[in-house]
Order: sequence, then structure tokens, then C-alpha cells
Amino acid sequence: MKHALHSAVFGLFLASTAAFADDLPTYKVLMKDGRIFPDTLEVPANTRFRLEVKNEGPGAAEFESLELKKELVLAPGVTRTMVFVPMKPGIYKFFDDFHLETGQAKIVVK
Amino acid sequence: MGNAFFVVWRESLEAFLIAGILYAWLQANDDSGAGRRALFGGLAAGVGLALLLGWALLSVQDELTGEALDLFQTATLLVAAGLITQMVLWMRKHGRTIKAQLHADLSAAAERSGYWGVAVVAALAVAREGAETVIFLYGLAQGGELSALAIGSALGFAAAALTAWLAARSLARLNLGLLLRLSSILLLVLASALFVTAIDRLIGAGWLPPMLDPVWDTSLLIDDATTTGKLFSDFAGYRARPALTTLLAWAAYWTVVFIGWRKSGRG
Repeated sequence: MKHALHSAVFGLFLASTAAFADDLPTYKVLMKDGRIFPDTLEVPANTRFRLEVKNEGPGAAEFESLELKKELVLAPGVTRTMVFVPMKPGIYKFFDDFHLETGQAKIVVK
Repeated sequence: MGNAFFVVWRESLEAFLIAGILYAWLQANDDSGAGRRALFGGLAAGVGLALLLGWALLSVQDELTGEALDLFQTATLLVAAGLITQMVLWMRKHGRTIKAQLHADLSAAAERSGYWGVAVVAALAVAREGAETVIFLYGLAQGGELSALAIGSALGFAAAALTAWLAARSLARLNLGLLLRLSSILLLVLASALFVTAIDRLIGAGWLPPMLDPVWDTSLLIDDATTTGKLFSDFAGYRARPALTTLLAWAAYWTVVFIGWRKSGRG
């Protein structure tokens, strides 16, 4: 039991450090003036990947998705990256929480 | 300007609501004023924390620090949800004690720890969404159309304060029993929303398995990516496409609350 717990903790540790590995495929999203480019992003299924989000402004943006379970606030001119866990095929919406009317986009997992 | 108004209103509403409900409750139950002082102290500390957290979020660039900050925010979500829940159950006990004219029996230590809880809950409520408001306002300041946007955000603050004031006023009009029950339920629903967000963030970061995801899809009914749906998700923990882990965590939360509620009512 104790051994199982150890390996579970170790597995979690591995999983979290793997997130920083440099061989992850990287995709880019640009947030600009309340809009998101591209509005449809295709990524492979069951693969860990990195998303580089840039906010060109003007104004702050908040990358958010309840389906993807991510939230990231970006001041203008800031670029940040997020690592996504492997996902099943499907369509996952995300949006700019500071510009809900115009900033809607989706990630298509294939 | 309309957008600045709406964003600031929504971001600050949660903190104002928590403060308003606590204020209404303390006004009815606490004659000494110590509870209200704790509340205002907590709110002030929260503004300081929000500025600090906002600054940290602004200056972060690399992925590692970003993940650490993300984890910190998730931790504050969990702490806030836990503390609010604990405080509601404390309030329930405390309110009944006073009603039964047993004020003297309440030990000073229990009262002090309760007020500490009030202060910390208020501080966390302000700090969490406050940090995002800080960045949003910083973005506006960078942007140019300063005056129109500044007016929009000032109005948003005022509207959030007004919303919470109205809620607190209408709560204060009720009789004590109803006030206690209604404010408790409102706070518990808010806490459950914070808890659901924390669980989702842990899943998103790969710390928890989602198990079945999604269990169902009600986005045709209420889409949580729209303005109204987002309000539902922020304040009540609604998810159009919940993961099984999130659902189980939500059910576990309400089970624990229900048991605690029954227990504190009997004591």
C-alpha cells in the first residue's frame, strides 16, 4: 500500500516535470483588441501540447475555458505559455473573459 | 465603456457580496462591533493583497513561475471555499446561541477565532478577483481611451457596491432566523462555486484525472461561454460540460455541508 502510494506520488511528480520538457508541440494563439486569432485551432488528440498565448492589446485579456479548465490573465504585450493535458477528440470552446461578446474561439482536437 | 463597466462589475461583485452578507449578519448578531472591525480590516488587507498579486501576475513571464502562481491561486480558491464553509457553520451555531440568550456561555476564544475567520474570508474574497481587476485596469491605463474607460470601471465598482448593498439591505429586513438561513445558503453556493473552480484547475493542470469528461453537455440549455452562463458558473459553480471528478467533488462538498449543517443545528 505504502509502495503504491510512493509510486503514485512519483508518477505525479514525473507527470508535472514532463510538462516542462522541451519536445512538446507548441501552438500559438494571438489575442488582439478583444478578438482571438485563429478562431479555430487544430491539435492532435491524446497528446500533451503547449499553447503560447500572446496579448497584443490594447487592454488586458483573459484566456479562459471552462471545458479546457484553463484560466490565464494577460496584460497587454505579454506572452505566456500553458501546457495542456492529453485530450479526447472533440470541440473545446475558449474565450476572452474580458471581451465575451467578440472574443470566442475553439480548439478542435482530432 | 460598456465592456469596462460589465467586467469590473462582475469581477468585484463577489467580494462586495461576501462583504455585504457578512456585514448584514454581523449587524444583526454582534453588538460589540469587533466583528465589523474584523471585516473592514480584512477588506483593506485584501486590497493590498490584490495589488501584490496583480503585480506578480504582471511581471511573470516564464512557464515555471507561471505554474507556481497558478498553483497558488488554486490554493487560495480551496482555502477560501473551506473557510467560508467553516464560517457559515460557525455562524449557524453562534446565531442560535445568541438567540437562546446564552451569549455569556460563548467563550471569548471561540469568538475571536470566528472573527479571524471573517477577516481572512474578506481578505481572500477581495484579493482573488481584485488581482484580475488590477490587471484589467492596468490594461486600460496602457490603452489610450482613458477617460471613457475609467468612467466605465468606476461605474462598475459603484454598481457592484450597490448590488451588494441592496442584497445586504434586503437581507437585514428579514427576521433573524430567515436572514441567517438565506445568507448561509448564498455563501455556501458561492463557496461551492469556488471549490468547483479549484477542482477544475487541478484537472487542467494535470494534478487530478478528469475520469469521464464530459459526463453530459447542457450547453444548448445554458452555454457557460456566454455572458449569462459565465455568471452562473462564477457564482453557482455551473458547468455545461462537467468532468466526472468535478461532479463527484461537487456532490462530496454538499454532502459534507449537509452533515455539518445538521450537526451544528443540533448543538
